[in-house]
Amino acid sequence: MNVIQAVKMYITKMTEESGPGMKVILMDKETTSIVSMVFSHSEILQKEVYLFERIESHTKCDNLKHMKCIVFIRPTSENIALLSRELRYPKYGVYFIYFSNVISKADVKTLAECDEQETVREVQEVFADYLAVDRHLFSFNIVGCLHGRSWHQQHLQRCSQGLLALLLSLKKRPVVRYQAGSEPCSRLADRIKELMRRESVLMDNNIPFNGDVPPPQLLILDRRDDPVTPLLHQWTYQAMVHELLTINNNRVSLAHLPDVSKELKEVVLAPEQDEFYAKNRYANFGEIGQTIKALMEEFQRKAKSHQKVESIADMKNFVETYPLFKKMSGTVSRHVTVVGELSALVSRHRLLAVSELEQEMSCHADHADHLQLVALYGLRYEKHASNALAELVEALRGAGDGGRGGSGGGLSAVLALEYGGAHGLSGVENIYTQHTPLLKDTLEDLIKGKLRENLYPTVGGEDLSMGRRPQDIIVFIVGGATYEEALCVHQLNQTYTGVKIVLGGTTIHNSTSFIEEIKSAMQGVHRTHTRHIKNV
Amino acid sequence: MATANDDEILEGFLCPICKADLKSATQLTNHFETQHAEEQDLLRSLKDIFGKAKKIILNVDENDLKDTFDRALKINTQDNNSWYTEETQTVGVSRSSSEYFKAVRSARLERYATETNKLLIRLDKLVSNMPNEVNQRKQHEQDVVPWLDGSSVKLCPNCAKSFSLTRRKHHCRLCGSILCHDCSLFLDFNVAKGIVDPSAPQTLTPDHEVTEKNGLRLCEHCYMLIDLRKQVQDSRNAKTALMTAYEQMRSLMEQASPAVAMYEKMCQSLFDGESTYNLQDVNAMRGKIGKLAEGIDLLSKQVSLFPANPGTRQARLQNSIRQAAANFIKGDLLSLRKLPTEAQIDEVRRQRYERAQKKVEMERQAAEKEKEWKEREGSSRDNSVQHDDELNPLLEQMNIIRGYIKEARKELRFEEVAILEENLKELKKEYHFQMLSNKS
Repeated sequence: MNVIQAVKMYITKMTEESGPGMKVILMDKETTSIVSMVFSHSEILQKEVYLFERIESHTKCDNLKHMKCIVFIRPTSENIALLSRELRYPKYGVYFIYFSNVISKADVKTLAECDEQETVREVQEVFADYLAVDRHLFSFNIVGCLHGRSWHQQHLQRCSQGLLALLLSLKKRPVVRYQAGSEPCSRLADRIKELMRRESVLMDNNIPFNGDVPPPQLLILDRRDDPVTPLLHQWTYQAMVHELLTINNNRVSLAHLPDVSKELKEVVLAPEQDEFYAKNRYANFGEIGQTIKALMEEFQRKAKSHQKVESIADMKNFVETYPLFKKMSGTVSRHVTVVGELSALVSRHRLLAVSELEQEMSCHADHADHLQLVALYGLRYEKHASNALAELVEALRGAGDGGRGGSGGGLSAVLALEYGGAHGLSGVENIYTQHTPLLKDTLEDLIKGKLRENLYPTVGGEDLSMGRRPQDIIVFIVGGATYEEALCVHQLNQTYTGVKIVLGGTTIHNSTSFIEEIKSAMQGVHRTHTRHIKNV
Repeated sequence: MATANDDEILEGFLCPICKADLKSATQLTNHFETQHAEEQDLLRSLKDIFGKAKKIILNVDENDLKDTFDRALKINTQDNNSWYTEETQTVGVSRSSSEYFKAVRSARLERYATETNKLLIRLDKLVSNMPNEVNQRKQHEQDVVPWLDGSSVKLCPNCAKSFSLTRRKHHCRLCGSILCHDCSLFLDFNVAKGIVDPSAPQTLTPDHEVTEKNGLRLCEHCYMLIDLRKQVQDSRNAKTALMTAYEQMRSLMEQASPAVAMYEKMCQSLFDGESTYNLQDVNAMRGKIGKLAEGIDLLSKQVSLFPANPGTRQARLQNSIRQAAANFIKGDLLSLRKLPTEAQIDEVRRQRYERAQKKVEMERQAAEKEKEWKEREGSSRDNSVQHDDELNPLLEQMNIIRGYIKEARKELRFEEVAILEENLKELKKEYHFQMLSNKS
């Protein structure tokens, strides 16, 4: 269950089926992201794909009849209309059409009627309809999937289609379970089950039944069950970059930095294409510094130079004075810049202290303290026009009395307290990374076959395999996942041999985008508690 | 570096932009940095290629350095990725609607197809023996296609304007229907000839206006059908000089990949101390790969120099091809492994030889013991057939194979060398056994 591999294989299949020759790939906005997440520009050039065109662009028709065109688009009605136009006046010699999801017969007919020059060779559905962020992590890049605490219709559609595509691309026919008490989760689960039923022929023909292995599980969770995780400051590399600099489709913009060189304006951080990143994306901030330092010292030894590398600023100097180093470890130099910026931000915002307080709060304090923090926020920013107080209160309230159930109860504080207690005597290993996301406990229960049916019911009645330990698990978090949870899933994958978990979310959150998410979810909801707080 | 030009061939360290000869690599780079600062990307690739080439030529010791980096970067990839590498994943589910698509399309196009074919047959008759005389021409046209009787037609069926003295009735030469002059379209005779006989030399689209004199009057419907057929035809034989160059480049690339794999294999075999290949073989292979790289470089440069307006897709396409070729050369062809020196090879071989020698010695001793034991038994039945070495078919065969090997080496077919060497080894073994059994 490697989602990057799954998407890659689909795209390779497309380039191979069209045979040798110069190729152009015609995509829409979303499929462009899907492809760019798994392939670098140079990789795709080696597959004879030389041009990348957007289906909605209206460029003048220059004659490129000698080229083969691979069309890879989502099956939306706008795209069908655009493609019809393209086929009526074809710019390229031959067309190979691939839809990223299920397409209706009527749409195929419409297209066939436009193909008067008989340029189309293939029409296929391939199911690469999600953004493969990491081997075990996918997303749909939807911030604000809920509106007034229930689904945005179009986002519900997108998520259910995307999840169906995920199942087909990984060849899994799972049991669907969802978090009881969460209306969005149960609706999504029903939708997916319905889509699976509709495509049952396709699934049964391609996915072999195997009675010996317990069926895979698709577990749908609600972000509101654990609103703490996306709000905490993170100290692992990937999560930290996302929190402080924001990763968008594996790309980080550094354009706002002064005197940044041209090629570092936008940095690509893709674990598949960047070995250093793949190895260190879950490493602690401190460890990364050490790794880079060690690497440079090694180089120095080789270069027989003795320039000191003590601080991050030194490292920057070092990279600039040794172009050879830059060339040979191009990726490392990129990370030096990123790490440098992170460290600047950490000291500027005094994040170490902030984080310590956060960790204290989330792990060692009870509910009253949260209220206290919210109250403090409220007092401080009472007059501020755009304060998010109402949303915060609602979110907290949701967290308190909402769909919460599960093993831990109460903001995972109890569990975390236990950890705190256990480590208390020997001294906590790292005060900044005490918090573990609730997801970890949920998944461990599931792996052991102990996840309770009344809290996480199965769509379509009791699951016969109840109590058996599933081997393949797909978790989807409505409202967005975080990189901290991705790390947690990564660790679980390594701890439990034979168990394979893939994590997905409507998006990958940092605290900023999470606040956006809450704002959107709370739009149009009557604010009941604001008045109280103001009177404090 | 050589640039192919239409009128002359320039050689030397040429600037790819202004074609000035700069005498040396450093000067060229300097010139480029000062004169063409805006083309930094090209400069970088230029520098990279020079650097790599230099490394290849001089076998500079930077590889050592790179090794340490690789090691530093790859310390624990194995334990990190152990979970992932286990599984084999097959390509996901897909479903083809091509059948249905083509069924719908052909049902729809069949109507067009029969009609188009009918028109093409008429067109063929019209243009193949068209008389030059205007009146005869009209007669000929009416012979082929019966014209509609226009007496009852008062309005042009296309634009619905009434016919009059100034708006005369005309006939479509392919279907014979009536239309006015404004609604007529004209098909150039030469183009028409090209359509009915695609093997005839294609004339370029005429730049002069097509009128009644040099063209056929057609109605819109017929013109569209014929034009559609023409476009399909055009796209079928749209093979340009660009395509040819590109295809050549790809075929070189296809040759290069197995060559690199072979080189790696040969290199490994040398490091292992095997005697299948010698250092000259491997060097020759290296040379061959270098030649291929040169060829690819040259062809891709040719592709990128085809005329194209900047900013168009064509220009972007050519640049992309050039870039892909440069990546391929840099990544796959110039990063070859360093060859071992003669001394290293000798050392490895000596060790191997010693090991083999020891083994042989032990075997011999064992055999001797056995022989002694047999002799002690006293049954000395000699008189086994004395083999004449000259007539031994095994030896003869071995000589033949040695000849083959020499030949294959000369022509750089190293796969064959490996197979033949293997055969030779087996024969030697066989011969050895025969000798032993004879002796005993």
